[in-house]
Amino acid sequence: MSGSNPVSLYVHVPFCRSICHYCDFRRQIYRRETAQAWLDALEAELKETPRAESLETIYIGGGTPSALEEEELARLFSLLSPWAEHVKEYTMEINPETMRRPLGKLLRDYGINRISAGLQSVSPRLLKLTNRKAGKNETEAMAKMLREYGIDNLSLDLMYSMPDETIDDLSESIDFAVSLSPAHLSLYSLTIEENSVFGKQGVKAQEEDIEADRYEYIVRRLQELGYQQYEISNFAHPGKESIHNVNVWNYHDFIGIGYGAHGKDGDHRYTHADSLRAYLSDPLYRKVTPLTREERMFESLMMGMRLKCGMDRHLFQERFGKDVTEVYPRTIEKERKLGMIALSDDYLFCSDRGYFLLNSVLEEFLEEADL
Amino acid sequence: MDQSHIRNFCIIAHIDHGKSTLADRILEMTETVSERDMKSQLLDEMDLERERGITIKLNAVQLKYKADDGQEYLFNLIDTPGHVDFTYEVSRSLAACEGAVLVVDSTQGVQAQTLANTYLALDNDLEIIPVINKVDMVNAMPEEAKKEIENIIGLDCSEAPLISARTGLNVKEVLEQIVHKIPCPKGDPDAPLQALVFDSFYDSYRGVIALVRIRQGSLSVGDKIRFMATDAEYEVTEAGIRNPREVPLKTLQCGDVGWFAASIKSIQDVRVGDTVTSAKNPAKEPLEGYRKLNPMVYCGLYPSDAAKYEDLHEALDKLKLNDASLQYEPETSQALGFGFRCGFLGLLHMDVIQERLEREYDLDLICTAPSVIYHVYLTDGTMLEIDNPAKMPDASRIDHIEEPYVKAEIMTSDPYIGAVMELCANKRGIYSGMEVIDTGRNMLVYEIPLSEIIYDFFDRLKSCSKGYASLDYELIGYRKEDLVRMDILLNGEPVDALSVIIHRSEAYQRGSGITIRLKELIPRQQFEIPVQAAIGGKVIARTNIKSLRKNVLAKCYGGDISRKRKLLEKQKEGKKRMKAVGSVVIPQEAFMSVLSLDDNERK
Repeated sequence: MSGSNPVSLYVHVPFCRSICHYCDFRRQIYRRETAQAWLDALEAELKETPRAESLETIYIGGGTPSALEEEELARLFSLLSPWAEHVKEYTMEINPETMRRPLGKLLRDYGINRISAGLQSVSPRLLKLTNRKAGKNETEAMAKMLREYGIDNLSLDLMYSMPDETIDDLSESIDFAVSLSPAHLSLYSLTIEENSVFGKQGVKAQEEDIEADRYEYIVRRLQELGYQQYEISNFAHPGKESIHNVNVWNYHDFIGIGYGAHGKDGDHRYTHADSLRAYLSDPLYRKVTPLTREERMFESLMMGMRLKCGMDRHLFQERFGKDVTEVYPRTIEKERKLGMIALSDDYLFCSDRGYFLLNSVLEEFLEEADL
Repeated sequence: MDQSHIRNFCIIAHIDHGKSTLADRILEMTETVSERDMKSQLLDEMDLERERGITIKLNAVQLKYKADDGQEYLFNLIDTPGHVDFTYEVSRSLAACEGAVLVVDSTQGVQAQTLANTYLALDNDLEIIPVINKVDMVNAMPEEAKKEIENIIGLDCSEAPLISARTGLNVKEVLEQIVHKIPCPKGDPDAPLQALVFDSFYDSYRGVIALVRIRQGSLSVGDKIRFMATDAEYEVTEAGIRNPREVPLKTLQCGDVGWFAASIKSIQDVRVGDTVTSAKNPAKEPLEGYRKLNPMVYCGLYPSDAAKYEDLHEALDKLKLNDASLQYEPETSQALGFGFRCGFLGLLHMDVIQERLEREYDLDLICTAPSVIYHVYLTDGTMLEIDNPAKMPDASRIDHIEEPYVKAEIMTSDPYIGAVMELCANKRGIYSGMEVIDTGRNMLVYEIPLSEIIYDFFDRLKSCSKGYASLDYELIGYRKEDLVRMDILLNGEPVDALSVIIHRSEAYQRGSGITIRLKELIPRQQFEIPVQAAIGGKVIARTNIKSLRKNVLAKCYGGDISRKRKLLEKQKEGKKRMKAVGSVVIPQEAFMSVLSLDDNERK
């Protein structure tokens, strides 16, 4: 596909100060020398990446971007400055315990206007279990400091369905998070990834029925508290949805920079070198995975159906020249009959029940797609 | 070598009494196989046999033994299976021998199947050499074992060697007795060829390989031969013996046990039990074949991938080649599609065939629960033989149903009699007697419906007797019983492959057991699935498989797309190993679930 229009830029920072037990991302413990070399490589990569005029958002994720020192962050932000000129949303991930005043100043000076911070839980027991370092105090202090520097668009991550977690653990965590008035909340059920510490330890998440109970509670409780669900795990005050992530769920193109970043460019996806060492010696290396039209149609559905509003039928038609009902007639009919999905003029979307069972629904689509 | 120096024999033993270990020792002591080349239990050639520690298929090896009289003898050792299911195979190997070594474990004494196989050998006029094994064990009771053989079987044990097959103790004495007690073959080397086919297998390069015992005449490479039952004629391309590797020979002499190939591509031409003769100078009569056994247990075998139906057909054809007791015919199931209804001698036979099909022919199978043959008498006076519960006619057309009964002989020790009797009573067994063999050992005789034996009798017998019980059974006829077909309904639809025929008195228990088991086996789906057991439309047990409540990826951002798509694809593949019956997806093991109930589900 020519003339693609990336609307988002994702920058991956592969450093952390400690490793969370559920995490299987590409990351390593921060070291000053490696961080320097990494910034050199990133600079080289950025230099060779054509700048997109259409860019709406930048998202600096990780890892833990705030694991970098001030001068390193300053260099990163200044490298990104030319890209940031017209963006509407400029997000960075932070771990609350790494918040400090000089960082607040940097964020303000470089125009970062949205912070996504991991709290996960307020239960000391669950924080210890997951090897998280920030609890109530650190998170509260972080929110306060961010506001001092004029950053009010805060998102907090919480986790549920952790081993031995009680409903009280969850409700306390939600209540505390909401007391900090974040604009946005993400609630992720614990997924045991094979290559995480939990995976190696053989830790088990909660059973399906408990997980479902928790999820129902979350959806109901956050609604009461004025947060609208707009994606499976994401809730926001109206107008405060993450533009960056909504773009991804709408299957728009995005640029990925940094060794752990993926990008999507029309008819292919790409990743970088598969180790930090390899990235440092060849930051321009890209492993390209071509996507067939059928694959793109399915992925567009797989991502779009995660949105509460559903998958945009007009976007689909525009991209593939067909209505989604022509591509998956059998599954749409079957799943509509089962009450899992529904169609409006503009969207194909999940019912409340279908939303909980999106994987099963998607498996049916996948079967009809026969990739 | 002249016939007077040939000895053809087999070894008869109960499972684990040391048959294969003795065979190994004999191979070593005759220097057929050096210790270095020795794989443990060399004769058990199939992976399956070595894994399970049982002998299923026949195997014949030739060895040379220099006896104490200074002369060299040729031994042909033919292996025999020990399990009750394989009586047919045993009779085949016996027909190729003049003698048998009967191995009895001195820690366990005579077992039910040893008896059955020994009587079979006596019927075949074989000379039997009793041998007492495992005398080096601390709990060995060799004198008691001898007394049992004398009292129960009636064989003189005064000269029985006391051996340890494991250490080799006194095994030489066994070899000497083989030389002196087992008669040599007495065929006429100049008569027209008569060779008994006692086994065969398919080799993709050379076609069918037949294992034969030359009774009269001789067979040479280049000879034109004829299979007397099928009249098929071929030219012998290769012949030889095994030691246990193949050794090609120009000629198989009278009395020899060996193999030959003749570029036989048509599997149907070679029947085990048939006689091979010369096409130019044929024998007048074929040799006596074997007692042909009829299958007692039937089940449906279906390829899980419908496209593999022809592969399954071909594989069954090939297995049939050296397993004449295997029977099969095409059948269709609404739930499972096209497959075969297969008949087996027993449950172990069924297991072995299923496993061989999966391993040797790389097939992925769905097996339905086994069934016996019921005689269904209709109101119009006709009788139907029903081997598939789904084929049972409507109850209104049925006058009465008869089911097969067996006479079961169970040998066990005093402490377990109570438990064994309780088991038999629970299995609708009718007590018909108990024989005290000697102090502490007994033979219980029951008449039990065969369907109860195939259900889970072996496992239960083993656990209730801590392994100190053995079973032999034979069909004694059909009896009228209050039998009904129980259907299993998933989401309101009957699934034909899950129907079973059971005694009315057990219906409720079995029905609730099966529905609970299915609930455990069938994964939760997008909707709630009622699981019902019904007789003639009347539901007698019911449970529900709750619908899925949450099945969605927590996170799916830009970097996750490929990974998450792969995850969904993997889950989709997992579903392919299941069968969609109507709207419900059922895992393969569910179709056998009607068999495997836990203790607490049955009293």
